[in-house]
Amino acid sequence: MSDPLIRRLGELPAAEPDRTRSEHIRTRCHARLARHRHRRLFSGTPPSGEGMAPVWQSLIAVLAFVYLTQAIRFALALYGLT
Amino acid sequence: MDRETELTLVGRLRQGEADAFDEVYAAFSKPLFTFLIRLSRQRDVAEDLHEETWLRLVKHAGRLQADTRLGPWLFTVARNLHVSYRRARALEDSAAASLTGLWPFSVRETSPFEETAANELERRIERALANLPAASREVLLLVGVSGLDQSAVADICGLTPSALRQRLHRARELLAHALECDAVHPSVLEGVPSCPTR
Repeated sequence: MSDPLIRRLGELPAAEPDRTRSEHIRTRCHARLARHRHRRLFSGTPPSGEGMAPVWQSLIAVLAFVYLTQAIRFALALYGLT
Repeated sequence: MDRETELTLVGRLRQGEADAFDEVYAAFSKPLFTFLIRLSRQRDVAEDLHEETWLRLVKHAGRLQADTRLGPWLFTVARNLHVSYRRARALEDSAAASLTGLWPFSVRETSPFEETAANELERRIERALANLPAASREVLLLVGVSGLDQSAVADICGLTPSALRQRLHRARELLAHALECDAVHPSVLEGVPSCPTR
Protein backbone atom coordinates (compact mmCIF):
# COMPACT_ATOMS: atom_id res chain seq x y z
CA MET A 1 0.00 0.00 0.00
CA SER A 2 1.62 3.24 -1.15
CA ASP A 3 -0.66 5.56 0.82
CA PRO A 4 1.55 7.28 3.43
CA LEU A 5 -1.23 7.38 5.99
CA ILE A 6 -1.98 3.65 5.70
CA ARG A 7 1.77 2.97 5.74
CA ARG A 8 2.05 5.02 8.91
CA LEU A 9 -0.55 2.77 10.54
CA GLY A 10 1.68 -0.21 9.86
CA GLU A 11 4.45 1.45 11.82
CA LEU A 12 2.38 1.80 14.99
CA PRO A 13 3.61 -0.30 17.92
CA ALA A 14 2.27 -3.83 18.30
CA ALA A 15 0.71 -5.15 21.48
CA GLU A 16 1.38 -8.39 23.26
CA PRO A 17 -1.03 -10.34 25.41
CA ASP A 18 -0.11 -10.78 29.04
CA ARG A 19 2.49 -13.54 29.42
CA THR A 20 0.53 -15.41 32.09
CA ARG A 21 -2.60 -15.21 29.99
CA SER A 22 -0.68 -16.48 26.95
CA GLU A 23 0.55 -19.46 28.93
CA HIS A 24 -2.99 -20.11 30.12
CA ILE A 25 -4.27 -20.06 26.51
CA ARG A 26 -1.55 -22.44 25.36
CA THR A 27 -2.25 -24.84 28.22
CA ARG A 28 -5.99 -24.89 27.50
CA CYS A 29 -5.46 -25.35 23.78
CA HIS A 30 -2.90 -28.13 24.28
CA ALA A 31 -5.30 -29.92 26.60
CA ARG A 32 -8.11 -29.71 24.05
CA LEU A 33 -5.89 -30.90 21.23
CA ALA A 34 -4.76 -33.84 23.36
CA ARG A 35 -8.38 -34.71 24.11
CA HIS A 36 -9.30 -34.64 20.42
CA ARG A 37 -6.29 -36.79 19.53
CA HIS A 38 -7.03 -39.24 22.30
CA ARG A 39 -10.65 -39.57 21.24
CA ARG A 40 -9.68 -40.16 17.62
CA LEU A 41 -6.94 -42.66 18.36
CA PHE A 42 -8.63 -44.84 20.95
CA SER A 43 -12.34 -44.76 20.30
CA GLY A 44 -12.11 -45.02 16.55
CA THR A 45 -15.30 -42.99 16.34
CA PRO A 46 -15.65 -39.60 14.72
CA PRO A 47 -15.84 -36.48 16.97
CA SER A 48 -18.91 -35.89 19.13
CA GLY A 49 -22.25 -36.75 17.62
CA GLU A 50 -21.11 -37.19 14.02
CA GLY A 51 -21.64 -40.96 14.05
CA MET A 52 -25.18 -40.58 15.33
CA ALA A 53 -26.45 -38.57 12.37
CA PRO A 54 -26.95 -41.51 9.94
CA VAL A 55 -28.79 -43.52 12.65
CA TRP A 56 -31.25 -40.68 13.27
CA GLN A 57 -31.75 -40.07 9.59
CA SER A 58 -32.56 -43.77 8.96
CA LEU A 59 -34.96 -43.89 11.90
CA ILE A 60 -36.82 -40.79 10.71
CA ALA A 61 -36.99 -42.21 7.16
CA VAL A 62 -38.48 -45.49 8.43
CA LEU A 63 -41.04 -43.70 10.60
CA ALA A 64 -42.01 -41.40 7.74
CA PHE A 65 -42.43 -44.42 5.42
CA VAL A 66 -44.64 -46.26 7.95
CA TYR A 67 -46.73 -43.12 8.49
CA LEU A 68 -47.26 -42.57 4.76
CA THR A 69 -48.17 -46.24 4.19
CA GLN A 70 -50.74 -46.08 6.97
CA ALA A 71 -52.16 -42.80 5.63
CA ILE A 72 -52.57 -44.28 2.14
CA ARG A 73 -54.15 -47.46 3.53
CA PHE A 74 -56.55 -45.37 5.59
CA ALA A 75 -57.51 -43.24 2.56
CA LEU A 76 -58.08 -46.32 0.38
CA ALA A 77 -60.21 -47.94 3.10
CA LEU A 78 -62.22 -44.74 3.44
CA TYR A 79 -63.20 -44.87 -0.22
CA GLY A 80 -63.78 -48.64 -0.10
CA LEU A 81 -60.97 -49.43 -2.46
CA THR A 82 -59.44 -52.23 -0.40
CA MET B 1 5.13 -17.32 6.99
CA ASP B 2 5.42 -18.80 3.50
CA ARG B 3 2.56 -20.76 1.97
CA GLU B 4 4.34 -24.11 2.12
CA THR B 5 5.02 -23.77 5.85
CA GLU B 6 1.45 -22.67 6.37
CA LEU B 7 0.05 -25.71 4.56
CA THR B 8 2.30 -28.03 6.58
CA LEU B 9 1.14 -26.39 9.79
CA VAL B 10 -2.50 -26.77 8.77
CA GLY B 11 -1.89 -30.47 8.14
CA ARG B 12 -0.23 -30.91 11.53
CA LEU B 13 -2.99 -28.94 13.27
CA ARG B 14 -5.54 -31.26 11.68
CA GLN B 15 -3.68 -34.11 13.33
CA GLY B 16 -3.90 -32.28 16.66
CA GLU B 17 -0.17 -31.62 17.07
CA ALA B 18 0.53 -29.29 19.99
CA ASP B 19 3.85 -28.18 18.48
CA ALA B 20 2.06 -27.00 15.37
CA PHE B 21 -0.31 -25.01 17.55
CA ASP B 22 2.64 -23.36 19.28
CA GLU B 23 4.15 -22.35 15.93
CA VAL B 24 0.87 -20.87 14.74
CA TYR B 25 0.43 -19.12 18.09
CA ALA B 26 3.93 -17.65 17.90
CA ALA B 27 3.29 -16.36 14.38
CA PHE B 28 -0.18 -14.88 14.82
CA SER B 29 -0.70 -14.14 18.50
CA LYS B 30 0.84 -10.66 18.42
CA PRO B 31 -0.84 -9.30 15.27
CA LEU B 32 -4.16 -10.82 16.32
CA PHE B 33 -3.97 -9.28 19.79
CA THR B 34 -2.89 -5.92 18.36
CA PHE B 35 -5.89 -6.01 16.04
CA LEU B 36 -8.28 -6.89 18.85
CA ILE B 37 -7.00 -4.37 21.35
CA ARG B 38 -7.18 -1.54 18.83
CA LEU B 39 -10.60 -2.66 17.70
CA SER B 40 -12.08 -3.04 21.17
CA ARG B 41 -9.96 -0.33 22.85
CA GLN B 42 -10.08 -2.35 26.06
CA ARG B 43 -7.31 -4.66 27.14
CA ASP B 44 -9.50 -7.04 29.15
CA VAL B 45 -11.97 -7.41 26.26
CA ALA B 46 -9.13 -7.97 23.81
CA GLU B 47 -7.62 -10.62 26.09
CA ASP B 48 -10.93 -12.49 26.30
CA LEU B 49 -11.59 -12.34 22.56
CA HIS B 50 -8.01 -13.36 21.84
CA GLU B 51 -8.33 -16.43 24.04
CA GLU B 52 -11.67 -17.37 22.50
CA THR B 53 -10.20 -17.07 18.99
CA TRP B 54 -7.49 -19.61 19.79
CA LEU B 55 -9.96 -21.94 21.46
CA ARG B 56 -12.06 -21.83 18.28
CA LEU B 57 -9.02 -22.74 16.21
CA VAL B 58 -8.39 -25.76 18.39
CA LYS B 59 -12.05 -26.73 18.35
CA HIS B 60 -12.13 -26.68 14.54
CA ALA B 61 -8.57 -27.92 13.98
CA GLY B 62 -9.65 -31.40 12.91
CA ARG B 63 -12.09 -30.00 10.36
CA LEU B 64 -9.83 -27.35 8.79
CA GLN B 65 -9.61 -27.49 5.00
CA ALA B 66 -6.17 -28.61 3.84
CA ASP B 67 -5.66 -25.29 2.01
CA THR B 68 -6.84 -23.03 4.85
CA ARG B 69 -5.08 -19.68 5.10
CA LEU B 70 -4.47 -19.37 8.80
CA GLY B 71 -4.12 -15.58 8.98
CA PRO B 72 -7.45 -14.76 7.34
CA TRP B 73 -9.12 -17.65 9.24
CA LEU B 74 -7.97 -16.32 12.60
CA PHE B 75 -8.75 -12.69 11.80
CA THR B 76 -12.22 -13.66 10.56
CA VAL B 77 -12.97 -15.46 13.83
CA ALA B 78 -11.54 -12.58 15.89
CA ARG B 79 -13.52 -10.03 13.93
CA ASN B 80 -16.77 -12.01 14.23
CA LEU B 81 -16.25 -12.45 17.96
CA HIS B 82 -15.78 -8.72 18.29
CA VAL B 83 -18.96 -8.05 16.27
CA SER B 84 -20.90 -10.38 18.60
CA TYR B 85 -19.37 -8.71 21.62
CA ARG B 86 -20.33 -5.27 20.30
CA ARG B 87 -23.91 -6.39 19.67
CA ALA B 88 -24.19 -7.72 23.21
CA ARG B 89 -22.67 -4.51 24.55
CA ALA B 90 -25.02 -2.35 22.47
CA LEU B 91 -27.98 -4.01 24.16
CA GLU B 92 -26.49 -3.37 27.59
CA ASP B 93 -25.52 0.19 26.66
CA SER B 94 -28.97 1.06 25.35
CA ALA B 95 -30.40 -0.08 28.67
CA ALA B 96 -27.84 1.96 30.58
CA ALA B 97 -28.02 5.02 28.31
CA SER B 98 -31.03 6.48 30.03
CA LEU B 99 -29.16 6.46 33.33
CA THR B 100 -25.77 7.70 32.11
CA GLY B 101 -27.51 10.49 30.19
CA LEU B 102 -28.36 12.01 33.54
CA TRP B 103 -24.67 12.18 34.49
CA PRO B 104 -23.42 15.80 34.36
CA PHE B 105 -20.24 15.09 32.35
CA SER B 106 -19.02 12.40 29.96
CA VAL B 107 -16.08 10.16 30.75
CA ARG B 108 -13.43 10.38 28.02
CA GLU B 109 -12.16 6.94 27.06
CA THR B 110 -8.43 6.73 26.48
CA SER B 111 -7.12 3.81 24.46
CA PRO B 112 -4.25 1.77 25.96
CA PHE B 113 -2.13 2.62 22.93
CA GLU B 114 -2.74 6.30 23.30
CA GLU B 115 -1.37 6.13 26.84
CA THR B 116 1.83 4.39 25.81
CA ALA B 117 2.44 5.90 22.37
CA ALA B 118 6.07 6.86 22.01
CA ASN B 119 5.58 10.26 20.45
CA GLU B 120 3.01 12.95 19.84
CA LEU B 121 2.25 11.87 16.26
CA GLU B 122 1.63 8.28 17.32
CA ARG B 123 -0.57 9.51 20.13
CA ARG B 124 -2.63 11.55 17.69
CA ILE B 125 -2.96 8.68 15.24
CA GLU B 126 -4.01 6.35 18.05
CA ARG B 127 -6.53 8.91 19.28
CA ALA B 128 -7.94 9.48 15.79
CA LEU B 129 -8.08 5.73 15.14
CA ALA B 130 -9.80 5.05 18.44
CA ASN B 131 -12.49 7.64 17.68
CA LEU B 132 -13.39 6.25 14.24
CA PRO B 133 -16.57 4.19 13.78
CA ALA B 134 -15.85 0.50 14.37
CA ALA B 135 -16.41 -0.48 10.71
CA SER B 136 -13.87 2.09 9.52
CA ARG B 137 -11.38 1.22 12.24
CA GLU B 138 -11.69 -2.45 11.40
CA VAL B 139 -10.71 -2.10 7.71
CA LEU B 140 -7.87 0.29 8.49
CA LEU B 141 -6.49 -2.09 11.10
CA LEU B 142 -6.75 -5.13 8.86
CA VAL B 143 -5.17 -3.45 5.84
CA GLY B 144 -2.77 -1.03 7.52
CA VAL B 145 -1.75 -2.68 10.76
CA SER B 146 -2.23 -6.41 10.19
CA GLY B 147 -0.80 -6.18 6.68
CA LEU B 148 -3.32 -8.53 5.08
CA ASP B 149 -3.99 -8.18 1.38
CA GLN B 150 -7.22 -6.51 0.34
CA SER B 151 -8.87 -9.65 -1.05
CA ALA B 152 -8.33 -11.41 2.30
CA VAL B 153 -9.68 -8.37 4.17
CA ALA B 154 -12.77 -8.34 1.92
CA ASP B 155 -13.37 -12.01 2.80
CA ILE B 156 -12.85 -11.36 6.51
CA CYS B 157 -15.35 -8.48 6.54
CA GLY B 158 -17.80 -10.25 4.24
CA LEU B 159 -17.52 -7.52 1.59
CA THR B 160 -17.01 -7.51 -2.15
CA PRO B 161 -13.61 -6.15 -3.22
CA SER B 162 -15.20 -2.96 -4.55
CA ALA B 163 -17.22 -2.45 -1.35
CA LEU B 164 -14.03 -2.90 0.63
CA ARG B 165 -12.21 -0.33 -1.50
CA GLN B 166 -15.03 2.14 -0.89
CA ARG B 167 -15.05 1.48 2.84
CA LEU B 168 -11.29 1.76 3.02
CA HIS B 169 -11.33 5.03 1.08
CA ARG B 170 -14.00 6.43 3.39
CA ALA B 171 -12.17 5.22 6.49
CA ARG B 172 -8.93 6.75 5.29
CA GLU B 173 -10.70 10.07 4.70
CA LEU B 174 -12.24 9.99 8.17
CA LEU B 175 -8.88 9.23 9.75
CA ALA B 176 -7.10 11.90 7.77
CA HIS B 177 -9.78 14.44 8.60
CA ALA B 178 -9.57 13.59 12.30
CA LEU B 179 -5.79 14.00 12.15
CA GLU B 180 -6.08 17.25 10.24
CA CYS B 181 -8.36 18.58 12.96
CA ASP B 182 -5.81 17.41 15.51
CA ALA B 183 -3.00 19.24 13.66
CA VAL B 184 -0.78 16.46 12.41
CA HIS B 185 2.33 16.93 10.31
CA PRO B 186 1.24 17.56 6.68
CA SER B 187 3.49 14.82 5.24
CA VAL B 188 1.08 12.09 6.36
CA LEU B 189 -1.96 13.95 5.08
CA GLU B 190 -1.48 14.21 1.33
CA GLY B 191 -4.71 15.18 -0.41
CA VAL B 192 -6.80 15.56 2.72
CA PRO B 193 -9.37 18.37 2.75
CA SER B 194 -8.66 20.96 5.40
CA CYS B 195 -10.51 20.97 8.68
CA PRO B 196 -13.40 23.46 8.51
CA THR B 197 -13.61 24.31 12.17
CA ARG B 198 -11.07 24.38 14.90
